[in-house]
Amino acid sequence: MIHLYRVSKYYEGIPALREITFSVDKGEFVFVTGPSGAGKSTLLKILFCAERADEGQIIIQGMNTFRLGTSSIPYLRRNMGFVFQDYKLLPHKTVYENIALALKVVGTPYGDIERRALVALKKVGMDNKDHLTPPKLSGGEQQRVAIARALVNEPQILLADEPTGSLDPQAGQEVFRLFKDINMKGTTVLVATHDWETVRKMQRRIVAMERGRIVTDSKEPVLNPAKAGTGAPGAVPA
Amino acid sequence: MRGYGPVFYLVEAYYGLRANGLVNLLAMGTITMAMLIVGCSLLVFLNLRSAVGAMGERLEISVYLKDGLTDQEKDFLVTRLKAEPGVKKAVFQSKTEALDLLRKELKGQEALLEGLGENPLPDSYELTIDSRSSDAAKMDALSKRIEKLHGVADVSYGRESVEVLDRLLRMVTYGGMVLAALLGVTVVFIISNSVRLALYSRGGEIELMQWIGATRSFITGPFLVEGMLVAAIGTALSLGVLAGLFHAIPREAVHFLAGPGGLEFLPSWVIAYMIGGGALLGLLGGLVSVNRFLE
Repeated sequence: MIHLYRVSKYYEGIPALREITFSVDKGEFVFVTGPSGAGKSTLLKILFCAERADEGQIIIQGMNTFRLGTSSIPYLRRNMGFVFQDYKLLPHKTVYENIALALKVVGTPYGDIERRALVALKKVGMDNKDHLTPPKLSGGEQQRVAIARALVNEPQILLADEPTGSLDPQAGQEVFRLFKDINMKGTTVLVATHDWETVRKMQRRIVAMERGRIVTDSKEPVLNPAKAGTGAPGAVPA
Repeated sequence: MRGYGPVFYLVEAYYGLRANGLVNLLAMGTITMAMLIVGCSLLVFLNLRSAVGAMGERLEISVYLKDGLTDQEKDFLVTRLKAEPGVKKAVFQSKTEALDLLRKELKGQEALLEGLGENPLPDSYELTIDSRSSDAAKMDALSKRIEKLHGVADVSYGRESVEVLDRLLRMVTYGGMVLAALLGVTVVFIISNSVRLALYSRGGEIELMQWIGATRSFITGPFLVEGMLVAAIGTALSLGVLAGLFHAIPREAVHFLAGPGGLEFLPSWVIAYMIGGGALLGLLGGLVSVNRFLE
């Protein structure tokens, strides 16, 4: 589903990603972990075509993103949902309107918008607050709405960049539980986080990054023996 | 999935206009003023052109004949005159008829003609000129050609009035074109600024739409329609104001300015072109801002 081969990215000559190579199968749940500045967010942005890699090849759902023209990027994004740390909800629109916007963007017939938006909100338990605006919701609730927006077009891939970074532990657990449910239904999930505790508990594949490199991948043989058995996330079995 | 049609863009543009109501109202007002000047220029130009055309219809060249021409010579001359391009009609006026006419024109002051003795006026041909040949250069060339014909003593026409009208029409045409171009640029500038403000005020929404898979046309369409609507409505308002002012001019003033023929308001095709042109300028202004913003 996602293949990266020797992908590098530089910002003013300073490497943010160095020769990243890994694949994600359909239906997999992958955590990308690492300290701040490890390159997690850059990696997700490159997968989402918000940034272009300087070197290497990226193939997502059979499409080589290097050969993808600017006008084709929206169509690639329609197959991917993205959850942000800061939710990126429109504060002046209601919860329902925020979800409806994602449906309108892809040209959903007007008659289907309400039903589909409410179904998505129900999945995250927010259907009873569809008339409220985001500032009236808690952080956890806002993130659930953001997840509903990411899922409303039934993407095959869900990317999340530090989705629990602004949430209290309980709300964070709730968000991860939702991701788990979504993954169970067949959606490929890729989450960038430094919430080691949750990552350990979830018992999923972990790709650990440091200084722009993958240092361990729990699915692959240990890339950096120095990290093995140190309690680093890469040591968690798949 | 298929995209939405023009109704969607119109509805979105309407919400956009409402969201930035004050900015759009100010833009619309400024465009109304700018297009009012364009409308006024067009009104003056079109009325002047029709006045010149009407005068062209009335323009005549007087060809004065030498004394003592035979009937055969006169017949030959009139044939030559009628063969000249631009000459619609040639009417003979004898010296007696000319004196009678002068006497009529001097009504009340006929005493001036007493003591003239023999009629000093010559026979003449009054030529009516086609409006297409009534500009100064053509009239001048025609009169010079006629002067050289056998039996012609002198040629006269309202050279000055033709030249003045010609200059005036040319001035209004070129001046109007320059003015329209300047005001057109102004409209583009106004619209691009109001659309830019709308884009900045909805920057977060636009960024989000890009993240969730919106195409460029989905994002830009409503802003472009907004620009078109503001400019088209502004133009329509200017035409409304112009029509109001036009009909408010007192009848006496119209007669003074334009004679008994009166002034005509802009024809419907000019109104349609102005509104369409305004919308196009709005589209152009929108494109300028939208492209810059998305880049």
